[in-house]
Amino acid sequence: MAKSVYSKVDEYGFERSENFNYDVHDKFMSQYIRVLTRRSQRWNSIKGNIFSKPNVLKRFIRKGVPSDLRTSVWMRVSGGEEIRTNSSSTYNNLREKIDNQYIIDIIQIDLPRTFPENIFFSAHEYLPKMLFNVLATFAHQNKDVGYCQGLNYIAGLLLLATKDEEASFWLLKALVEKILPQYYIVTMTGLLIDLDVLDELVHKYEPVVHRHIQNVGMPWAMGTTKWFICLYSEVLPAETVFRIWDCLFNEGSKIIFRVAITLIRLHKDKILQTSELGELIGCFRDMRNHESVINCHQFMQEVFRLSGNLSNSTLSKLRAKYNQERTK
Amino acid sequence: MATNRTGTAQRPNGATQGKICQFKLVLLGESAVGKSSLVLRFVKGQFHEYQESTIGAAFLTQTICLDDTTVKFEIWDTAGQERYHSLAPMYYRGAQAAIVVYDITNQDTFGRAKTWVKELQRQASPTIVIALAGNKQDLANKRMVEYEEAQTYADENGLLFMETSAKTAMNVNDIFLAIAKKLPKNEQTTGQGGSAQGRRLAEGDAGAKTAGNCCK
Repeated sequence: MAKSVYSKVDEYGFERSENFNYDVHDKFMSQYIRVLTRRSQRWNSIKGNIFSKPNVLKRFIRKGVPSDLRTSVWMRVSGGEEIRTNSSSTYNNLREKIDNQYIIDIIQIDLPRTFPENIFFSAHEYLPKMLFNVLATFAHQNKDVGYCQGLNYIAGLLLLATKDEEASFWLLKALVEKILPQYYIVTMTGLLIDLDVLDELVHKYEPVVHRHIQNVGMPWAMGTTKWFICLYSEVLPAETVFRIWDCLFNEGSKIIFRVAITLIRLHKDKILQTSELGELIGCFRDMRNHESVINCHQFMQEVFRLSGNLSNSTLSKLRAKYNQERTK
Repeated sequence: MATNRTGTAQRPNGATQGKICQFKLVLLGESAVGKSSLVLRFVKGQFHEYQESTIGAAFLTQTICLDDTTVKFEIWDTAGQERYHSLAPMYYRGAQAAIVVYDITNQDTFGRAKTWVKELQRQASPTIVIALAGNKQDLANKRMVEYEEAQTYADENGLLFMETSAKTAMNVNDIFLAIAKKLPKNEQTTGQGGSAQGRRLAEGDAGAKTAGNCCK
């Protein structure tokens, strides 16, 4: 990771934006390298099976999974491994069934449009090819979802993190079919419900911000659709996204809301300074370069400082409530 | 953002005094027809061969001068994939203008454009100015939608129509300029402050829809 400090490209191959804050990043990286080294030593010194100790596992994962262990840890805690073991078809069998020309065409259109600013996608052919395989295989075996724009960014980041096409497929399947609600189906019902849930949660945790956003007149979908659909890829720096995903895979979709509330908290002053919709949207759009999100380690600490009642069961109740309101 | 949107304003260059009008414009159309590319060309003068697919929507602004009037467009660039359709009304609600985009090399995208036009005619503000853009004109050798066919359709439906190319910049500024010319710029909105006006436009309440949202 150290080599990326002065590079125009980050450690995952993303070109840095024109307004990338090198000073903030340098300062952060000099500390973060020590954190990464320490975490790597801790993970390697684990005695016994960490997966049988949920509390230890949760604490370890919240502090970050070392990049070389991500594929195996994600596969294990997400249920991806279990889905693979229980599947009647192997990944290769499923991949051979790609034959629907409509699906093939819509995915192919999006391949060169997925991370064009990432050198691993733009300068090589093998990663777009792997991306096609993952997305098309997924779309063929899940007819309710098929291909939904946004999945390309998730699968793209899975590939960058794991460099493993098959693992990326099972992880995508675990995310879409097990961890997340129905965001990607044709009606996008899960997304619409979660936007309502977010509204209620912001009202609860940050009532002043909630009132301001209401006054300016920004529907949550305008500012936060990408947060849900892309799971913060394209919203936050890659390393921060992977730290979020570490926890998302292990703890479930409440993490999306914890991150959302934290982002809103960290940007509270800026949000409250806006007086019109364009400015407010800009505030939500430009969170990527903020010091508080570049420092992913501190950011994750903020995420878990959030008081404890944002549990998966609270979330289920809220989702049921808004689902009922929608079907009335 | 400090621009005074109400009343007569001094231009930054100090040359002329004129009106400043602000309009909400939405881009609609099938995935990958070039909506984001048209906006990027218009706002930043740039073109990317591979423009990232838009999730949800993107928001940009651009200002153009028209005689003594400064027209500020608040542009909503929406996601094209069919399933994002349920999110579209919040973007076209209260919009004073829309550009419905299709790809001249793909007949299906023209059909989808017609569906969008119908939906706007039914659901959007009755005074909305709609422009039809046949994009990717630089690929005219692969044309699947005839110019005359689109022109006839546009005439029948009272739409502005141009074939455009975000790649070569052909007709990109022109289509926004044509929209700016067609938008009403002389009606007075109720006496709201600058920020309140922006809010009204964005919320698309009935007042803003019909008022033409401008200032003398």
